[in-house]
Amino acid sequence: MTKIATIKTFVRNTVLPALRQPVIRFMLGLGVLMAIGVGAALVVFAEGLHVTNLTDLVPWGLWISIDLSSIALAAGAFSISAIAYLLHRKELRPVATTAVYVGFVCYSIAMMMLLLDIGRPDRFWHGFVFWNIHSPLWEVTMCVGLYFTVLLMEVAPIIGHWEPVEHRFPRLSHRLGSLHALTPYLALIGLCLSTLHQSSLGLTYGNLIARPIWSRPIPMAVSFYLSAIVGGIALVTCISFLAPHLTPRARVNKVTLDKLAYTVGWAALFLLVVRWWDLMSMPVNYEPAKSEALYILTRGRLAFNFWGLEILLGMVVPAILLLVGSFRRNERARILALALVALGLVAYRWDTNLVGQLVVFGQAPGSDVPLFTNYTPSLIEILTATGVIAYGLLAVTFGVRYLNVIDHGEVVEAPAEAPVPAAMIPSSSR
Amino acid sequence: MSPIDRRDFLKLGLAATATAAVGVGMSRIPLPMAAPAAAVRAGDTEPEVIRADDAAEQPRADHDQPSPHHWAMVIDQGKCVGCDLCLAACHAYNDTPPNISWSRVEEVEPTADGRRVFRPTPCMHCEDAPCVEVCPVGATYHRYDGLVMMDYDRCIGCRYCQLACPYGVRHFNWEAFTGPNPDVPAAGHPEVPRRPRGVVEKCSFCVQRIDRGLAAGLTPGRDPDATPACVVACVYGARTFGDLNDPESMVSIALRQRPDAYRLREELGTGPRVYYLPATPTEVSES
Repeated sequence: MTKIATIKTFVRNTVLPALRQPVIRFMLGLGVLMAIGVGAALVVFAEGLHVTNLTDLVPWGLWISIDLSSIALAAGAFSISAIAYLLHRKELRPVATTAVYVGFVCYSIAMMMLLLDIGRPDRFWHGFVFWNIHSPLWEVTMCVGLYFTVLLMEVAPIIGHWEPVEHRFPRLSHRLGSLHALTPYLALIGLCLSTLHQSSLGLTYGNLIARPIWSRPIPMAVSFYLSAIVGGIALVTCISFLAPHLTPRARVNKVTLDKLAYTVGWAALFLLVVRWWDLMSMPVNYEPAKSEALYILTRGRLAFNFWGLEILLGMVVPAILLLVGSFRRNERARILALALVALGLVAYRWDTNLVGQLVVFGQAPGSDVPLFTNYTPSLIEILTATGVIAYGLLAVTFGVRYLNVIDHGEVVEAPAEAPVPAAMIPSSSR
Repeated sequence: MSPIDRRDFLKLGLAATATAAVGVGMSRIPLPMAAPAAAVRAGDTEPEVIRADDAAEQPRADHDQPSPHHWAMVIDQGKCVGCDLCLAACHAYNDTPPNISWSRVEEVEPTADGRRVFRPTPCMHCEDAPCVEVCPVGATYHRYDGLVMMDYDRCIGCRYCQLACPYGVRHFNWEAFTGPNPDVPAAGHPEVPRRPRGVVEKCSFCVQRIDRGLAAGLTPGRDPDATPACVVACVYGARTFGDLNDPESMVSIALRQRPDAYRLREELGTGPRVYYLPATPTEVSES
């Protein structure tokens, strides 16, 4: 009886008040989604990939798209770190901490997706042992593995400063914290590794002569690299702007973030030019499979994604919202705009992955003339993907609440009119 | 030196245990370099079954050494009637699941006088194979004689090669092949073990037959026991196989006689080893 009474008091005094907090409910919901995702993943591991809707003609589907998107969205980590530590923009260093944490979460999402997607997850390490230096995918594997190690070392001080670690293991906390001294070097290594694999992910598609729409190595590599940087910075800025609305623990320097947002505005316009150069400059006369794929993208099944999500919502609308001062100073407008840039990046990766596979040319009976094929993710693919994304959101929420990853020093409100001179921006510590 | 206190002793012990655990764990990871060279495992009842990694035992391509053979397959579309006997033999000899065909026979444009025309499409064993280029772990590779091989023990199942193949001849094992093979024993007996779930497989030009035949002093393409199963199974003689380095081989003769032979998607520069003789020969102005 006493035990039950204790549990009752615990529930009444601790659990119920906690459940009244929206953020706890949010995290619980994410936890449930994650649990469902883990269950679905176990089914995939036990049953094999025939539970997916992937086929020999469309072997890369939803999971690879999420993997590509999350690696791209993690690009904020290396680019903001490089600006802060290699270009000595000290005011960006706290933002770099946020970026590194977001990047770490994104890369762990990518690796979970890859582990699910490969047919032999028990052999994930083969890429590190058996080298085929001609394969872009091998380069991506190596760089992702090495860069994840770099991110681990960059995230270690954040974990070291976590209260329970600091209190219970002060020496460990000190050790982890001392890794912070390496940050400039890690920023340099991260820049090199990320440049290599972010562009090689484009080349992964770009060097496939079998699929004419992809077969343009340089434009693919360049646009993957550039769009990743823009989308990554946009996501970090978006999360930083958003966090103080959700928890008082997040402290941001709105002047710095405002500058970043303004830059993202111009960068979105620049991406529009790159996308135009990349896709619209393709020949107008008929080329088998290429013309069909272009049709799918601009007028067919992917047209809404392309014109709506990528071009309009991903580039044009954010550029307007972020470049026109009165819009940008509206908190909601700029958060929305930055989120749209990230969404546009996801749409770009999704379209790129699918557009080459939906046209079959020479790969199936009767496909001497290009044929169209189909792909819709199966329920189990969607459940696992939702679970992994829920993990990402949960990890970021946890980071903001308990690891203080968004702590950009004193709260500085942006002035209503003129921007603050650079000299007045406080250089924050840590 | 101060004596080791309990704290340090525990730390040392923990470190030693962890190292031992990692060591034991590592030793359980199969190292592909140490794959046994034996052709037949002790428990196998059928001695003629050759292990999958036997092919991997063959040396990989060495670009300094000229290849001793130049295997090629010549398919006469004038003789192929689309009966799928070659596919049945392939299913049986290579023990492929019913939903995977290493080669496919598809109907193409009929001739001018209305005869139906078929085109069998096995793996082209390209000289410059896109799949070999892109495989991140080198699980698909050129053998010493230029054939494109699969190392099923190394494949991670990323399916990048399927995207890269212009001919669509690579198949992924979406599920494990259990249960009986419907083509055994009617069309032949398995000569290679089944592939596990989660790896990519494709036509191998029946390397097990080529290698065994060469070892026995036979000539692939002439002696049925040393020739790919689909070639042997074709009762219409539509498929021929042989060594292009040998001017008297069936394929060399066929290609000399028919200058109108063509290869699939030649413009990609992959250099396929499978040649097709069109159903309607174009006028030959040779003499």
